[in-house]
Amino acid sequence: MNSISRWRVRIFRTLALSLILSAFAGLFTPRAAVAQPGSGYWFAGSTLVFAKAQNRNGNLAVALDDPGLSKFLSKLGASVNYVAGQRYVVIASGDRRAITFTIGDTHFSDGEIRGEAPFAPFQSGASVYLPFLTLARVLSVVPVGDNGTTVLQPQISALDIRIRDRVTTITLRGALPLKFKRSSPAQSERVVLSFAGVASTLDPERAVRGSAEVRSVTINVAGSPRNPTTTVTFDAGRGTLHALAPSETPNVVSIGFAGPGIALAGSAIPEAGPPNVAVAPARTVSAVETHRALPPPPAVLIDPTTIRNDDYAAVGGALPVDNAVPPPPLAPPVTVTSIDLTASDQALSVRIGVSGAVRYEWHRLGDNRWYIDIKDATLGVPGRDEQPQTAAVSSVRIRQFNDDPDPTVRVAFDLTSPRQVDVAPVQGGLTITIGASDDPQPQRVGAGRLTGGAIVAVAPLAGSNDIWSPPSQTVAHPYVPTNPKLIVIDPGHGGSDVGAVHNGLVEKDINLDIARRLRTLLVARGWQVKMTRDSDVDVASPNASAHDELQARCDVANDAGARLFVSVHVNSFPTTAQNGTTTYYYKDSDRPLADAVRTRLETIGTADKGVRKEEFYVIHHTTMPATLIETAFLSNSSDAALLRSPDFLRKVAVAIADGIGDYAANNPVNTSGGS
Amino acid sequence: MKALRVVVILAAFVVAALVVYRYVLQPRFQAADTITVYYSEIDGATLVPWKVSLGPDRSRKSVAAYALAQVLVGPPSQVEAIRFPAGTVTRGVTLDGSTLVADLGGTIAGSVGGSFAEAGEFKALVWTMTALPDIKAVQIEIDGRKVATLPGGHLELDQPLARSNF
Repeated sequence: MNSISRWRVRIFRTLALSLILSAFAGLFTPRAAVAQPGSGYWFAGSTLVFAKAQNRNGNLAVALDDPGLSKFLSKLGASVNYVAGQRYVVIASGDRRAITFTIGDTHFSDGEIRGEAPFAPFQSGASVYLPFLTLARVLSVVPVGDNGTTVLQPQISALDIRIRDRVTTITLRGALPLKFKRSSPAQSERVVLSFAGVASTLDPERAVRGSAEVRSVTINVAGSPRNPTTTVTFDAGRGTLHALAPSETPNVVSIGFAGPGIALAGSAIPEAGPPNVAVAPARTVSAVETHRALPPPPAVLIDPTTIRNDDYAAVGGALPVDNAVPPPPLAPPVTVTSIDLTASDQALSVRIGVSGAVRYEWHRLGDNRWYIDIKDATLGVPGRDEQPQTAAVSSVRIRQFNDDPDPTVRVAFDLTSPRQVDVAPVQGGLTITIGASDDPQPQRVGAGRLTGGAIVAVAPLAGSNDIWSPPSQTVAHPYVPTNPKLIVIDPGHGGSDVGAVHNGLVEKDINLDIARRLRTLLVARGWQVKMTRDSDVDVASPNASAHDELQARCDVANDAGARLFVSVHVNSFPTTAQNGTTTYYYKDSDRPLADAVRTRLETIGTADKGVRKEEFYVIHHTTMPATLIETAFLSNSSDAALLRSPDFLRKVAVAIADGIGDYAANNPVNTSGGS
Repeated sequence: MKALRVVVILAAFVVAALVVYRYVLQPRFQAADTITVYYSEIDGATLVPWKVSLGPDRSRKSVAAYALAQVLVGPPSQVEAIRFPAGTVTRGVTLDGSTLVADLGGTIAGSVGGSFAEAGEFKALVWTMTALPDIKAVQIEIDGRKVATLPGGHLELDQPLARSNF
């Protein structure tokens, strides 16, 4: 009995302990936390106040949708990836590290490095709260006391040294975009750069072992906790050259040092810099686009009641509400523009005109009924019932069969017998022919796709329950131009869409310049030429969607039945690293044209990036062989220098015209269609 | 009596184990489990896979959102890669059968870049997302809407993109 009592005591002790532990743990769950506004941090020149903050075991938890946090992250060049209802919060630091927090887990990761926060991120109400100081430290921002105020001090957090091929590259990584002033003479072997607003806890003196170019790097932090300045001195060897290397992110500054006679990539270190981190200028947008390009910067002290949804976009649309996702847009409407019936004694031909890309599906029912559904289309002509004068069918019904969200136009026939029915896509629609004779082995179902006039494929529907239907066939119909002498030239971008802007050059203007030169050459060689634009305008309208604008360019060529479509562009890239000429194709029928043009473009003096297949809109949605030429990179200084030269632009136009000539000589025009 | 004792002891252990699991052990980071994320090298032609560790949440949607965020951030900055513009973020992911709807926002909504970068960015995105089980294609949305291309862009985005598109 005694031992039983002891066991009872032990059991109850264990249970009591468990309950006490549970109770304690329960105290620290989100619902028990009391909201406390942040006490106010000093950060980058102003006070940072959090409107949505909680005290969590003495640690500050800040909501992802807090405007103060948005401001903090945006100054660091960081952004938030969070999908409402999910547990992962991935923060991209300005120097491209992925920092992952998980709701309910104290562990976080910084790339492949793991750490542990004092508390797990949690959800409270509609918001997700993160351990703020842990986040700040991972982003290389260190809290420092200053007369009773906590200063959040951004740091130069890393100094990487790479020695390769007698070039030593030293890279500094900052918590925020780094701006420097050079206080050493331009030609000096000692380079001294001062970074205002950042501190550093890196070793003050670092010898660079194994480098013949740089002896040491000295780091000196001066100024006050609120306004620190870090001065970095690179002590390079005699006769060493140096250059500012291109950087993909403004938080990173890289300087290359090379011995005499060694080639060094980059630009001279300016007195104040970086002069042009490519990221921002490369993404210049036109006035029309600006309103949706960047969210307005959040105010310093924010009254939460004044926050518009747009403000949250700065941290990645982190609105933690499921219904925050705007409704899906309407698909570009496709209309059945005409239905023409041509009846003969024994047969009926029906031509259905459509305004854009659609799918269709047809079915043959057992009682000699046959119908075709044009999917995602609305009937642009009145529905009707007809009894055409033919022995092939007894009646035809044309209806808007379904409305939104699945608009379908149905054309249904009552056949007089199991007649043969052919469905043939043609330019701008399709033709249904109900033949004079019966089909001994009629297919029960089929489907296809029309790409706004072009023919993609005609094949029986996969999964057909028709076991005795013949194997599926893909029928390629050769393109037949209605005007075999016409070439449409598309100068890319234009009007409100400036394209890329770099090095003082604007893409839309260069595209037009080359296109006009090309037109002159082609006309002189006997071609007819139509330009999608011949001035600085939008082809559709300044406020048109990308779809309408690009489709308008395709329509110029499709409507005219042109033989070829040539789109002229200039490329750009976020860094100076890319240069050269690329010729793009998409459709199989584009390839010979792209190859011919590329061969000639090899002579213009740029690097050849070859022929590439990409689903670019204008080469996909033009029905004729088409190519898109990216002549050179605006973002590369030597390519940009070429693009400034009228002689180079003339050479480009000559090469394209020659390529078109080669293509035409080897690819005689089709004079008969496949159907 | 003996049976009751056993039951009580077992119950005590279960309670203790649950408390320990809830507040001590769970959730643990399972470092061994990874996803494959791709980036495009700056030649625009080569895709490079790299492994990224996965946290404790393994639901399809969470993993998809996580993979999407990883491909938008890209590899560490030391790696020369074609990258989405800094500040491009995940707004949402939806699974529609074998098609993943990836809703992107942030700076990409005002993006005017070159066709070369666009092709490299979206190729990496599509390869990353279709490396996840049962995802065959990706429908891109920008700020919750289907678009024909990016503003001032080139690559067609209004149809789901599969690996075969690149």
